[in-house]
Amino acid sequence: MKPPTDRGSLALGAYVYAVLAFIIVPLVIVIPMSFSQNDYLAFPPSGFTLKWYAEYFDSRQWRAATWLSVQVALLTALFASVIGTAATYAMIRGRSRLVTVFQILLIGPIIVPHIALAVGLYLFFQTIGLSGTIPGFVLAHTVLTLPFVVFTMAAALGKVDANLEAAAMSCGASRFQAFRLVTLPLVLPSLASSALFAFIISFDEPVVSFFLSGVRQKTLPRRMFEDIEQNLTPVIPAIATLLIVLSILILLGAHVLRSRSVTR
Amino acid sequence: MNIASARQSATGASIRISRLEKRFGAVSAVDGVDIDIAAGEFVALLGPSGSGKTTILMSVAGFEFPTSGTIHVDSEDLTYVPSNRRNLGMVFQNYTLFPHLSILDNVAFPLKMRGLRTAERHARAEAALATVRLAGYGHRRPNELSGGQQQRVALARAIVYQPRVLLMDEPLSALDKNLREDMQLEIKRLHAELGITVIFVTHDQSEALTMADRIAVLRDGKIQQIGPARQLYERPTNLFTAGFIGEMNFVDVAVQSVGDDISVALPWGETWRLPATAAVERLAAGEAAVLAVRPERLQLGAGSPGQVVTVTLSDIVYAGSALLLIGRLPDGTEMRARIPGASQLSSLAPGDVASFTIPTEAMLLYRGKR
Amino acid sequence: MMEAGRSHFWHSDGRQLSGLSTLLLLLPFFAIIAFVFVYPILQLLVISVLEPHPTLDNYARVVENPVHMRVLMRTLWTATLVTALSVVLGFPVAYYMSRAKGTVAALVAVCVILPLWSSVLVRTAAWSFLFQRNGLINSALMALGLTSEPFKLLYTQSAVVIAMAHVLLPFMILPIYGALRSIPNDYGRAAAVLGATRLRTFLEVILPLSLPGVVSGSLLVFLTALGFFITPALLGSPQEMMISTLVSKQIREVLDWPFAAALVGVLTVFVTLLAIVFSKTLRFDRLMGNAS
Ligand SMILES: Nc1ncnc2c1ncn2[C@@H]1O[C@H](COP(=O)(O)OP(=O)(O)OP(=O)(O)O)[C@@H](O)[C@H]1O
Ligand SMILES: [Mg+2]
Repeated sequence: MKPPTDRGSLALGAYVYAVLAFIIVPLVIVIPMSFSQNDYLAFPPSGFTLKWYAEYFDSRQWRAATWLSVQVALLTALFASVIGTAATYAMIRGRSRLVTVFQILLIGPIIVPHIALAVGLYLFFQTIGLSGTIPGFVLAHTVLTLPFVVFTMAAALGKVDANLEAAAMSCGASRFQAFRLVTLPLVLPSLASSALFAFIISFDEPVVSFFLSGVRQKTLPRRMFEDIEQNLTPVIPAIATLLIVLSILILLGAHVLRSRSVTR
Repeated sequence: MNIASARQSATGASIRISRLEKRFGAVSAVDGVDIDIAAGEFVALLGPSGSGKTTILMSVAGFEFPTSGTIHVDSEDLTYVPSNRRNLGMVFQNYTLFPHLSILDNVAFPLKMRGLRTAERHARAEAALATVRLAGYGHRRPNELSGGQQQRVALARAIVYQPRVLLMDEPLSALDKNLREDMQLEIKRLHAELGITVIFVTHDQSEALTMADRIAVLRDGKIQQIGPARQLYERPTNLFTAGFIGEMNFVDVAVQSVGDDISVALPWGETWRLPATAAVERLAAGEAAVLAVRPERLQLGAGSPGQVVTVTLSDIVYAGSALLLIGRLPDGTEMRARIPGASQLSSLAPGDVASFTIPTEAMLLYRGKR
Repeated sequence: MMEAGRSHFWHSDGRQLSGLSTLLLLLPFFAIIAFVFVYPILQLLVISVLEPHPTLDNYARVVENPVHMRVLMRTLWTATLVTALSVVLGFPVAYYMSRAKGTVAALVAVCVILPLWSSVLVRTAAWSFLFQRNGLINSALMALGLTSEPFKLLYTQSAVVIAMAHVLLPFMILPIYGALRSIPNDYGRAAAVLGATRLRTFLEVILPLSLPGVVSGSLLVFLTALGFFITPALLGSPQEMMISTLVSKQIREVLDWPFAAALVGVLTVFVTLLAIVFSKTLRFDRLMGNAS
């Protein structure tokens, strides 16, 4: 007698890999297209050229948009990780009846549709002159990324024994020194990876940027939106390829940080 | 009424496991195991962690297909039959009651799978709950019962469809000691009442010794010894079993001659003549051997026929029914003795030298070194 | 109060911070959320009922105009389709992922998580390449001889639904995966040994126990889909507008603020109510791609 072949498992496996292909193929497909010599986006791609990458790097408009997005994303990562970590630390170590309020406010930016926030901010920022400015983008993106920072940091800080700080304080450290010398080093990898995630969320954020962008100050996603909407040039696959590479680098970075983490 | 009929129809099945092998990549989890189990027998699989107990049970249950070998139940080849068509009962370590179903629906689950109608399902499930003394608990949810009660429900669920074989993988190890002993009795009682064949995996040797008709001792996927508790304890067939089951003293000796009797040289220079029956394995002159003696067989002072050893005592431990004396033989080998009737011996103190008699029939000889 | 399991997440024993330090550390968070999140949204809601004068007319315009009602219905219907498609595509993947080990598990996890961290625009752009007249899908169909004429795929509702399901799939897979992972393997085995076929084991044991994950994932996908902007704007046709594209049009072309605010109000209130009703089931902390 032979072990029976397991048709059910085979069918499930086939279905799952088909779905995974559905997930991955659209991401991967832009890579060969970005090297295609065709001036319009046809399939299959033909030839090999780097001219679309050159066009992206040579274009003042693309460069300006990218530089704006980089600045905004860096500042957002900094703001969100500092503010988010401080708040999470206070919620975990502090005595406060604000827990419930905190949780509701935290989930707000995830639940409330981005279009609603975008429209609201568009109106608000226009009246106070923040529309299309770097501080405006950074404030908006900080709100959008805070929940992710808090979830990451809550998981990490929750694993640090509160008695470690108590021990440091019994050795003469102040509260802040105890945090800086004991807790912070332990959660540093998580802090770094939450900053990475905040960076990429901000860098790729399309909806709020769409409404806050001015005529001159346009983020990269906003420029891409216009290009896709109007003429869909082959520069888009080149930029998409670069963005995918960036995502992979960020995920790899987060993975390395996590495997280094003591509080895993 | 249903239990009465259950008692008549649900007699156990015989099980034959032949040349069973299971490899996971390079790891040989089960390595050529043969076990023949009679109908209605209670067999325990005992062995250290990783010895392959669970893998054997999973193969019988149909969750693992063996790399080679066969499994027959009542001479029907079940080796590659899916588990849902084997009609076996199984109790898992962590209860595995379905949390979204009531106790009654949990017990009725196998009957539902067998297409019984609701009324009959519930009647039979109630009856099965009564056999494990949980009548009236049917409407509760699993998380409303204690661990012991949950495991009794799992037991009810495993017997409600009158399987001929009941498999249990460390069913009691999640319970605390008192509950465990209650459940041991409960399972024994059910076994006697239903006449079902039981394979019971445990790493607790006293559990195996008290519950099972026969015990299979496993190590690295191989059977070391299989037999009734008494045989395993009194005359283990190899050094591993001798050391694994119960407490045992071991002394390295050298075999000098083998004839009508066996003479062995002890490390402190003496030579003893032992009856040929002391050798559990074949011995040859010039070989190294191990002399094994259970601590409770040692007698304080000179007594019945045997060999006398002098022991320098290092610890004297009052252990309730007996006194545990720990000391060293002249060559430094540790020797333990359990002496009943502890109260008379209060005069002994650490540092004292005591002499013990080892009765001739208490000595066993194995090949090799300890 | 929150359930016990949740609130211990926020508390730990040991030395506590003083009330003042707690407040100071929380201040930046509450300040930014109050000014950059709560205020702008409230302001919109206020505008929607106060302008041009205190009235519910703006909401009446949403409900009474059949064109706008159709947009609302289309939005609900699209989100429903996206959710259904995501369950059908996502559940088996989550199930497979929960059982996989080693390299296979890592591979599947990467496939699920990588898209989560790549740009929505990239993914939407990719679909517009695939759906073009001379894109991959039409080329493949014609090469296989299944059609001689390229289909019109781009700017259809199908294109929007497929691309949105693609974008939102991780939000479906991860909660289901979390729920499935918490079901011990022995449950499936117990069901099998008790006589259940694989289908019945799935229907009677695995599915009911994973239902919280399915509900959570479905809600996340549904709620997010309702307010989706980028994908419908780029892949849909103007004739088949969804609520977010309508809002954008009101603001950028018609400049009808009160009406746009009412539309946003309808969307926000609806989404928030759903989230409150299901607040017990929604698990946001599962979304950080902690698939390990
Ligand atoms: N699915 C598996 N994949 C790889 N190796 C396995 C698998 N299952 C078991 N093994 C290996 O097979 C050997 C026997 O395992 P098994 O679970 O049968 O031991 P056991 O006697 O039940 O141990 P324990 O007392 O710890 O439960 C072990 O070395 C184990 O690591
Ligand atoms: Mg085991």
